[in-house]
Amino acid sequence: MSWLDSMCERSARQLARRVSRRSMLGDLGAALLGTSVLPLLPVARGARAHGAEAQVKADPGDPTQCDYWRYCAIDGFLCSCCGGSQHSCPPGTQPSPTTWIGTCHNPADNRDYIVSYNDCCGKSTCGRCLCNRNEGDKPLYVPFRSNDYDWCAGSQSGIPYNCSISRIIGVAK
Amino acid sequence: MSMLQNKLRGLSAWRLMALACAMLVCNVAIATPPLPDEPLSVETLPSPVGKHWVWVNDIAFFNMPDGRATLVDGDTGKMLGMLSTGYAFDHLVIPPRGHIIYSPESYYSRGTRGVRTDVVTLYDSRHLTPIGEIPIPAKRAAIVPQMSAERLTDDGRFLLIYDYTPAQSVTVVDTRTRRFVGEIDTPGCGLIYPTGARSFFSICSDGALLEVRLDDAGHAAGLTRTAPLFDPEKDPLGENGVRSGDTWWFTSFHGWVYPIERATRGMGVGRRWSLFSRGERREHWRTGGLQYLALYRRTGRLYVIVHQGDLASHKEPGKEIWVYDLATGRRVQRIALRHMASSILVTQDPKPLLFTCFMGSGNLDVYDARTGQYLRTIHSIAETPTIMVSP
Repeated sequence: MSWLDSMCERSARQLARRVSRRSMLGDLGAALLGTSVLPLLPVARGARAHGAEAQVKADPGDPTQCDYWRYCAIDGFLCSCCGGSQHSCPPGTQPSPTTWIGTCHNPADNRDYIVSYNDCCGKSTCGRCLCNRNEGDKPLYVPFRSNDYDWCAGSQSGIPYNCSISRIIGVAK
Repeated sequence: MSMLQNKLRGLSAWRLMALACAMLVCNVAIATPPLPDEPLSVETLPSPVGKHWVWVNDIAFFNMPDGRATLVDGDTGKMLGMLSTGYAFDHLVIPPRGHIIYSPESYYSRGTRGVRTDVVTLYDSRHLTPIGEIPIPAKRAAIVPQMSAERLTDDGRFLLIYDYTPAQSVTVVDTRTRRFVGEIDTPGCGLIYPTGARSFFSICSDGALLEVRLDDAGHAAGLTRTAPLFDPEKDPLGENGVRSGDTWWFTSFHGWVYPIERATRGMGVGRRWSLFSRGERREHWRTGGLQYLALYRRTGRLYVIVHQGDLASHKEPGKEIWVYDLATGRRVQRIALRHMASSILVTQDPKPLLFTCFMGSGNLDVYDARTGQYLRTIHSIAETPTIMVSP
């Protein structure tokens, strides 16, 4: 295989990783684990104590890039590139109340975190920073662990999907 | 006249010849009739449909209100027409007979907001025009498309549509009366795999199957849940299933083939076998893609998209297709693809074509399904091509 073929294949695989799939779902996890009394995360405490530099160390990586640690099972457009952040929806959109959950490993503190992949809804697809990673992803018949659903289906906005966030909701035991 | 004769006498012979040729050319141009006026017209597709035609379904992921399906002739590489199919489009459903295409579709009154309306649109398959629609509950699952999201019963009478709100159910539509019949709750179980004229099964999140029997009006006549038949945690079955006779063939994430069929005591798993040898497992060969299985029924050949990757690469496209004989479980062919593929389809005629597409490219590739020889690429046939169906 020529270097050109290799390059094309590599870029195609990267494209596939980012482009081929849509995330959707939500998480019964959010309902089961509850959103009212979320644990105060070590990363959040670290950020407040030591400022931005410490936050970067505790939560390493670029949230606009697909290889950011907590995107380990995300599937869709990254809200960080669409006017939101890794844990907040862009202006004018509505977070899906149901979502699906995954577990991602934070290399900074060597902990596994439970992550809720909420979709942001009510506008057309953002179209930026498409990302598809599938650690722990299950088929559609296991809905709350599948990233192939449009989780906006459970929102008041209905199924129009804009982008996806990756919100920490706890430390995996 | 005498002046003209005098002038001609003054010309050399070769100049006279050139003048004669010019006059001849001029006469020919005058004698050719002009192009005819052209009536304003619209094409109609020939009937019956071509054996090498294929519908490429497109969820239009970058512009989801604008789902579409494109019809292509694999022999000529020509695009024949298209349908506009609404929001979060899954795929067209083609009945075995007749000139109708069914398309479960969703729309919003203001494009991306307002009132959601779900319908099954009926299209004339020769003119590609909508000829009717059947209103259904606004519950159709918005998912990455799968063939098992929308299926006809074996006799074509009832159209079954997977719902997710996130409650799980199946909408039943009577294609004879063209009316919504009702919903069948399938809690904990999803997708649709027909097993007869009045029956289908769904797969449950614990690895069990939910068998559903219908009465002649399309209502649920009985539901039976099997014991778990596989372990969705350790080695889940992919959603793809291909059917030969009464057997549905699935593959697991770890590359095991599961024949699921009806036995005397209900649905069960037959003898399972592995797609990969120990050596191939060490080399991390896996199945991957979206529509990664295809079956050529005449010879019982199973086509599988494969790649080398880790356990979380079950959605990766592949650049190889491995072909297996279902009767023996042996691999009989390896096809090296020209381009990456996430979906494949094999036509069922005696000289079958193999179609491949990749959500990230928008192109459609055509191969000889028997030899694996690359034939052609049809460019820009979709924005994000998902799954393919034969017309």
